[in-house]
Amino acid sequence: MAALNEKKTCSQRMENFNRFVWNPDTGQLMGRTLINWVWISLYYVAFYIVMTGLFSLAIYSLMRTINPYTPDYQDRLKSPGVTLRPDVYGEGGLEIYYNVSDKNSWEKYVTTLHKFLSAYNTTAQHANINCTSEKYFFQHSFLGPNKTKYSCKFTSDMLENCSGLANSTFGFPEGKPCLIIKMNRIINFLPGNGTAPRVSCTAQHDDFSPLELQYYPVNGTFNLHYFPYYGKKAQPTYSNPLVAVKFLNITRNAEVTVVCRVIGTGITSDNPHDPYEGKVEFKMKIQD
Amino acid sequence: EEKYTTSISKGLTSARAAEILARDGPNALTPPKSTPEIIKFLKQMVGGFSILLWVGALLCWIAFGIQTAQGVASAFDNLYLGVVLALVVILTGIFAYYQEAKSTNIMASFSKMIPQQALVIRDGEKKEVPAEQLVVGDMVEIKGGDRIPADIRLIFAQGCKVDNSSLTGESEPQSRSCDFTHENPLETKNIAFYSTTCLEGTATGMVINTGDHTIIGRIASLASGVGNEKTPIAIEIEHFVHIVAGVAVSIGVLFFIIAVSMKYKVLDSIIFLIGIIVANVPEGLLATVTVSLSLTAKRMAKKNCLVKNLEAVETLGSTSIICSDKTGTLTQNRMTVAHLWFDDQIYSADTSEEQTTQSFDQSSQSWAALSKIVTLCNRAEFKPGQENVPIMKRVVVGDASETALLKFAEVILGDVMGIRKRNRKLAEIPFNSTNKFQLSIHETEDPNDKRFLLVMKGAPERILERCSTIMINGEEQPLDRERAEAFQTAYMELGGLGERVLGFCHLYLPEDEFPDTYPFDTDSMNFPTSNLCFVGLLSMIDPPRSTVPDAVSKCRSAGIKVIMVTGDHPITAKAIAKSVGIISANSETVEDIAKRLNIPVEQVNKQDARAAVINGMELKDMTTEQLDEILINHSEIVFARTSPQQKLIIVEGCQRQDAVVAVTGDGVNDSPALKKADIGIAMGIAGSDAAKNAADMILLDDNFASIVTGVEEGRLIFDNLKKTIAYTLTKNIAELCPFLIYIIASIPLPIGTITILFIDLGTDIIPSVALAYEKAESDIMNRRPRHKKKDRLVNEQLAVYSYLQIGILQSVGAFLAYFTVYAEQGWLPNTLLGLRVNWEDDYYNDIEDSYGQEWTRYQRTYLQWSGYTAFFVSITIQQVADLIIRKTRRNSIFQQGLLRNKVIWVGIFSQIAIALILCYGLGSVTALNFTPLRVQYWFVAMPYAILIWVYDEIRKLFIRQYPGSWWDKNMYY
Repeated sequence: MAALNEKKTCSQRMENFNRFVWNPDTGQLMGRTLINWVWISLYYVAFYIVMTGLFSLAIYSLMRTINPYTPDYQDRLKSPGVTLRPDVYGEGGLEIYYNVSDKNSWEKYVTTLHKFLSAYNTTAQHANINCTSEKYFFQHSFLGPNKTKYSCKFTSDMLENCSGLANSTFGFPEGKPCLIIKMNRIINFLPGNGTAPRVSCTAQHDDFSPLELQYYPVNGTFNLHYFPYYGKKAQPTYSNPLVAVKFLNITRNAEVTVVCRVIGTGITSDNPHDPYEGKVEFKMKIQD
Repeated sequence: EEKYTTSISKGLTSARAAEILARDGPNALTPPKSTPEIIKFLKQMVGGFSILLWVGALLCWIAFGIQTAQGVASAFDNLYLGVVLALVVILTGIFAYYQEAKSTNIMASFSKMIPQQALVIRDGEKKEVPAEQLVVGDMVEIKGGDRIPADIRLIFAQGCKVDNSSLTGESEPQSRSCDFTHENPLETKNIAFYSTTCLEGTATGMVINTGDHTIIGRIASLASGVGNEKTPIAIEIEHFVHIVAGVAVSIGVLFFIIAVSMKYKVLDSIIFLIGIIVANVPEGLLATVTVSLSLTAKRMAKKNCLVKNLEAVETLGSTSIICSDKTGTLTQNRMTVAHLWFDDQIYSADTSEEQTTQSFDQSSQSWAALSKIVTLCNRAEFKPGQENVPIMKRVVVGDASETALLKFAEVILGDVMGIRKRNRKLAEIPFNSTNKFQLSIHETEDPNDKRFLLVMKGAPERILERCSTIMINGEEQPLDRERAEAFQTAYMELGGLGERVLGFCHLYLPEDEFPDTYPFDTDSMNFPTSNLCFVGLLSMIDPPRSTVPDAVSKCRSAGIKVIMVTGDHPITAKAIAKSVGIISANSETVEDIAKRLNIPVEQVNKQDARAAVINGMELKDMTTEQLDEILINHSEIVFARTSPQQKLIIVEGCQRQDAVVAVTGDGVNDSPALKKADIGIAMGIAGSDAAKNAADMILLDDNFASIVTGVEEGRLIFDNLKKTIAYTLTKNIAELCPFLIYIIASIPLPIGTITILFIDLGTDIIPSVALAYEKAESDIMNRRPRHKKKDRLVNEQLAVYSYLQIGILQSVGAFLAYFTVYAEQGWLPNTLLGLRVNWEDDYYNDIEDSYGQEWTRYQRTYLQWSGYTAFFVSITIQQVADLIIRKTRRNSIFQQGLLRNKVIWVGIFSQIAIALILCYGLGSVTALNFTPLRVQYWFVAMPYAILIWVYDEIRKLFIRQYPGSWWDKNMYY
């Protein structure tokens, strides 16, 4: 095997490589003649065209089987997630840290809330209908315009003191900020089993005085007539109902961890892996 | 003698001895520099794909470091992945190290041969000293049973015989005397060699060489000086590792650059790089190859080929030249009576291994006389207690020719010992080299016949000299010129067959001259030793094994050249070569042609002669070019009278022709050649330890035919490794594509790195080993041996077909499953494109899917794992199809049969079982990233699995239909 063990010099290697790239004796370019390259390329082009065709066909038939209104399965959406507005994240997750006297420190929260609530002003909601029933709003047929289903109105004024209309700073400068809790949409999900689910916030470490809170709408409930959700195609103008929480007695200059849960049958908040399932946790620190 | 400043009677002085000891060093072989175990271990840790995986692990830890510093929650995933990768490397490293540690060190057996004590004369006294302290010039005494402590020139010897088998491989005892008989130290009679054994007699001699300077020391250093060559399969695997590593690194770097230029964070790009490396490297493959090789090794062990070095299994398959020893390998290593000449006629005897009768005409009176001489004039005896052992297998005390004669007589006459008892021996002169005959005088078994019978055997010409009559058809006739000529013709004819011829004669001593009580005296020879009656000739040969001619012709049809290399006489060598077919019946050597055409040897056109018999002496004077010319021009070559060094030269000559050379051997003298050969084959029964150590393979039954079985297995494993690799490489693309599309199209990651490892080291392992059990597709012994440089294990076609065709098909199938899972859960394909950044945002807990539903980060991750599982399951399902198509490379699967290799089914079931366990059993363990999958997703890729199979059947059909076509050239791997 002596021959194989011979160390080739660099120039020999280069020469070999050059010969591989273009071999003048056989007219081979990278080990093939030009015509051979054409054939092999044509074959691969054809092969991949057929492949792509087959794949497109498969995806097309997949799409044909898909129901445009509701997904086939909701294996991962057994219980809705809960989110907070303003959603500002810091090192340890959601953080509402600001200084009462420093306008710059809280202004971003206010802007976020205003922006978020702009989807809930009367003009934005005018396509939706007024609902008064305290029951689930079942719609079995498409009675709305353009073959849709109706969505119930949720306007920001329902949040009263936290609507940003009367108090455009949401109570931030006073140290009594309003935060908004939103529950994720899940198609055909019926929360609370007939009783309206409600938001309940608690301080995680109760070494301070118990939280004094004001919920809007009253009791912090999500009205049942917003459920069930029928999906984007059936309810294009649907907007999630909200609950605003106004914190009245946050201890100044101390970090308070608050957990807001949505309480109701069918809504779980004890998944150890998912911190946002049925609840939202955040930290508050209001400085003088 | 003064040269060594010693004295024959007094020996060296202790002081002088100490001086020389200090100068020459101890009388021991220096062990070769051995690599420390830890270095060997570490070498395994960085060999093959290990280095790539280390890089992967390191990148993981770097990513972990950076992410923890940034406080990313999922940072620990990277830590675990790094640990897993490191574990994979370490475990495969330990596995490989363990395999290598099994190969033993060649020097070990040399050191075992060193005698412990030696009797020396120093300061005029006899002393026992450790053999290591012997120095040049010491006077040493040896006696029967001793091992010779150094190279010794004998000064005094009495009946000294040595066994040089550890040196030459020929186990016949050789007498030693103080006469200088030959210029070559190996041939002269007055030198006894280090490490050989003194069988009988005593001798005194002077040490002339010690330690590494001894002949055996030189051979040992020659053997260890011959580097361990890389086996062809090792080169092939290295080549394959280079291809895969090249693909991995270039795709990795390419996509790293693409990722960075697509404004991905560098850290993310590093994580992509890890994924690409892990996807590209077939982690389990090298272990699979080892397992496949050891399975074949086991199979070969059952067929009497014991493989020491696993990789040698395949080397045997690629062998193109076998340099075979004669004695013991091609022949039975046992003198056997082959021909008889009496009554003016030559009879042949049966020489097969299992002879029980002899069929030649035994009616003649001459035969009766001859058989009596054969029986009586013989000192060999069966060891007692072997009545139930077949005659040919009984152990005999006596030299080779006498043994042959004894067994020959026992087969025909039966109960030789009884005949001898009835014909009591009265006097005997054993064979010696001056007389060249052996004689004994017996009473006859006929109680009425009071005459004594004198029987004699020996070198035919010497026997004939002593005869005046010759027995023809039982009657004594005068030995006239005509008879003598007939004798000469027969003698020449038998000699020309390479056989050892013995003449037999007898004489009934007249009763009156030699009465009952006559005192026979062998020293004064008071009895006639001439004017005897010549009875006949017997010729003996070490006959070829009966399986050898068939094996040689199989080698020939398999394109393997068999070269005989022997220390034996050219005539004998040629005769054996002819009888086993190494020189075929109708081919001639240059000398034969010269003889036939009656022209001088020089005028013969060398190209005309297919065969060649080359003497060691001729070889000595040849240049390398001349040797090359012989090796190229002649297809049937016999080397006779060769020395160990020449054997090495021959092997090197063959290797210069780019041949893969197998060498068989048994003696210490063969060990350099065994080591130099691509595959050294030692004899299990006759072989010395040194030969066995130097060899890669041991033939347990010493039978050449076993080599052929080995070749067959070796070729089969090469084909099957091709299949295994093709099988394994295919899914690498299906593992790689997800990463590439993930980077380019920014979709949620279709398959995770951990999941990939579960395919590579979980579901795929047993099926790829199962391919090693696949039967051959056609008669693999009817094609030429593969060309070392052209027929690669992993060739362009194999890589391209696996990567760019089947691999892509598999990826498409797996992607379909991925898109199906996501679509049915609410994420339609068009939503997925470009989703990656939001999808992976830990702080985005209300991402809308295609239906307006909102998902938290964890809900998405869980769905992502379902995607992994679906992708994994689809690859597994398609790998089943891949496994089935890889069973054959040319034949249709129906020709090969689906049920012949049952292990394949074990593979398929294990594959599916492992996938089921991972999916449903371990689906709740979050660290593994598996989720219980809806049953229907198992079937999404099924049509693609069928498509793979159909496509491959079409490929094979065209290959069979249009051999040599464009399709065949590009699609056959």
